[in-house]
Amino acid sequence: MALAQHNLGTVIAFEFTRTTKKRGFAIATLAIPVLLIVVFGLLYASNTTTKNSAEAQKNAQFSFTYSDASGIIAPAGAQAAGGTRAINPAAAIEAVRNGSSAAYFEYPTDPTREPVKVYGADKGMFENGKYEAVAKQLLEASAQHQVGSPQLTAALTGTVKFDSETFKDGKTAAGVGGVIPPLLFLVVFYISMILLSNLMLNSTLEEKENRVTEMILTTLNPTTLITGKIVSLFMVGLVQVMVFLAPVGLAYLFFRDRLALPELDLSSLVFEPGPMITGALLLLGGFTVFTGVLVAIGAIMPTAKEAGTIFGPLMAMMFIPFYTFSLVISNPEALIVQIFTYFPLTAPVTALLRNGFGTLNPIEATIVIVELFVVGILILRLAVHLFRYGSIEYGRKLNIAGTFRRSELAAK
Amino acid sequence: MTLGDAAEPLVHIQDFRMDFGDTTVIRDLSFDVHAGETFGFLGSNGSGKTTTLRALLGIYRPTAGILHIDGKVFEPSDGARLGYLPEERGLYKKEAVLDVMVYFGRLKGLSKAEARSWSGAYLERVGLGGKAKTRLDKLSSGQQQKVQLGVTIMNNPELLILDEPTKGFDPVNRRLLMDIIEEHKRAGATVIMVTHQMEEVERLCDRVILLKDGVARAYGTVEDVQEEFGGTVYRVTYDGVLPASHLFDVVSDDDGQAELAPRQGASEEKVLRELVEAGAGIRSFTPARISLDEIFIKVYGEQHELAEG
Repeated sequence: MALAQHNLGTVIAFEFTRTTKKRGFAIATLAIPVLLIVVFGLLYASNTTTKNSAEAQKNAQFSFTYSDASGIIAPAGAQAAGGTRAINPAAAIEAVRNGSSAAYFEYPTDPTREPVKVYGADKGMFENGKYEAVAKQLLEASAQHQVGSPQLTAALTGTVKFDSETFKDGKTAAGVGGVIPPLLFLVVFYISMILLSNLMLNSTLEEKENRVTEMILTTLNPTTLITGKIVSLFMVGLVQVMVFLAPVGLAYLFFRDRLALPELDLSSLVFEPGPMITGALLLLGGFTVFTGVLVAIGAIMPTAKEAGTIFGPLMAMMFIPFYTFSLVISNPEALIVQIFTYFPLTAPVTALLRNGFGTLNPIEATIVIVELFVVGILILRLAVHLFRYGSIEYGRKLNIAGTFRRSELAAK
Repeated sequence: MTLGDAAEPLVHIQDFRMDFGDTTVIRDLSFDVHAGETFGFLGSNGSGKTTTLRALLGIYRPTAGILHIDGKVFEPSDGARLGYLPEERGLYKKEAVLDVMVYFGRLKGLSKAEARSWSGAYLERVGLGGKAKTRLDKLSSGQQQKVQLGVTIMNNPELLILDEPTKGFDPVNRRLLMDIIEEHKRAGATVIMVTHQMEEVERLCDRVILLKDGVARAYGTVEDVQEEFGGTVYRVTYDGVLPASHLFDVVSDDDGQAELAPRQGASEEKVLRELVEAGAGIRSFTPARISLDEIFIKVYGEQHELAEG
C-alpha cells in the first residue's frame, strides 16, 4: 500500500512536470492570455479614445444655426449652446457648405415622423459625431424643459428600472440569479474537457508509441499509473484555467471602467444547495465517464492519428444536446430529451442544463448521477484492463474481445 | 523485500499453456529457476520464449498453468526487486535521460537523491556522462539501449530477466553488457536470459531450457543438455576427403575442419581408425562436447528441412 501511494505520487509528479514543461503546452497555454491581453489592450485604447471623444463631442462648443418647425426647441437653451435661429434654410445649408458656418440643424414639424437633418463642416469620421450629439442633446433638453418633470422624461425615454419577483412553493423564486450558479458546472465541464481531452487521449497512447508499456507494467500497477495520469491532467487543467483567468481577473480588478466590463453583482445570484450539489455530482460523474472513454480509446488505438478518428465523434456527443436546447428547457418530457438525459455520453450536458433551468427533478437527478458514476467507474476499470492486456499490442488495433477471452480461459 | 528461499525455486512454471485465439503457442511447459542461478532460455523466433516471460510477469494472462515468482503470481505492487529488459525496447523518448532514469528509480523504491546518484554513476560508467540532460530521442540506438539497461538494473535486482539483451548492441557494448550481467551473477542475483548467442549461454548459464513450437525440447544443466544431444563430438582437421561412414555423422565440414558426431557404439578409436584407413589425411583429432549452437541447429534443422521439403 505504501509503495502504491509512493508510486502514485511519483507518477503524478512526473506526468505533471513533463506535460507542463513541454514547449507546445507553454505556447498553447500562454497564447490565450497573451491574446486576451492584446484584446484588452486594444479595448483599453479604443475605449479611452471613444470616451474622450464622446466627452469632447458632448461638450463640443461651436456655433451653429438652426430652424425649428416643431416648436420644441427652447430659444434660450439653443442660444446658450451657441445656436442662432436661421431665417433661410437654403442659405444656412449653403453657409455650411462654403465654410462660413460650422453647422445647421433642421428640426422638422414632427420629429417622431421625420428625421432631424444635421449639416456640418467635415471634421473627420470621429469628430463629425459632435454635430448629431449636440443636436440631440438640444432636443432632449428642450423637451424636458417643456414637460417640466424629470420623472415623466425618464418614463418617456425608457430609462426606468424594473425589479421583478416571482414565487414558487410560497417562496420567492430565484429567477435568473438561481439559474446561473448551477450552470457554472456546465461551463467548468466544457472547459475541462476542451482543455484536457486531447491530453487524456494521448496519455496512454504515449506508452504504446514509445514501446514503454512492458517496462511500466512490470514496475507499476496499471491502476496506479492511470489514476496518476488522470490526477496530473486535472492539475494541468487547473494550471491552464488559472493562467487563462489571470488576465481577466487583473483586467476586472484594475481596468474595469476603462475596458467597459460589466459590474459583477454577486448579490443577485442565488446558490441553492440542491441544484449546486446536483451540479457538482453531475460534473464529477460526467468527467469520470469521458475520462474513462478517452483512456480506453488510447489503450485500443495504436497511434494518436487513428485515435483521432474516434475522438471527433466522441467530442460531438458533448455538443449534440444543444441542438435540443429549447426542448430541454421547455419540454423536458420529450422523448429526445429523455434519451439524452440517460445516454451516458449526452447525460452530463443534458442533465447539467436541466439542473440549471430547474427541470431535473430529484429522482431523475439521482438516477443520472448514479448511472454516471457506475458507468464511469466501469469504463475506467475497462480502460485499465485494456491498457494492461492490450497496450502490449504495439502497432495494432486491440481486439477487445480477445483480452477478455484470455481472462475467461485463465479462469477455467 | 528479499526474494528467494533456498528450499523453493525462485521461479516456478508448471503446466503452462498459452492460447491466442485458436492457436496454442505454449503447451504444458514446466521448469524451475533457482535463486542465484543463471538460466538460459533458448529457442528460435516464435518459439514462445517472450510469451512465457510476459505471462510470468503478468503482462499476458496464461490460458492454464501456474507461473510463480517467489511462490506467488507476480504483481509489480509487491515491491519485488525485479529488473526486466523486454525484447520490445523503449522509454519516454521526449524526456531527458536523467529524468527518465530518476522516474523509474523512484518507481522502484529509490529516493530521488539515490536515483540521481545511481544514474549519474551508471551514465559515467557506460560513457554517457555528458548526456544526462539530453533527450532520449537525440541519442543513438545503442546509447538508448544502454539507458534502458541502466533502468533495468538500477534497483540492484535480485531477479534479472533479460529478453535478448544483446539485441542491437555492437561488440563493445555487448562486452559491457556481459560484464554487468556477470557482476550481478557474482552478487548473487538470479538471471533469466533469452538469447541466440550460444557462446554467451555456455559461458554464463548454469542451466538452460530449449523451446521449440512452445514445447520444451531440452532442459537441464548445459552439460546435461550436451550429453542428451550426443555428448561428445570429434573435431578434426584433414587435407584429404572425409569418407561416408556408418560410425559417425558429419555435423559440420568447412575448409579442412570438420565436426563428427559418433553414432551409438562408435568409440573414439574406431572412428579414428576408419578415417585413417579411408585416407582422409587426418592432421588432428580432438574429442569435444557438442556445442549449444550445434544442438540448436540439430533441433531446428529438422524443422527447416521439413519446411524446405
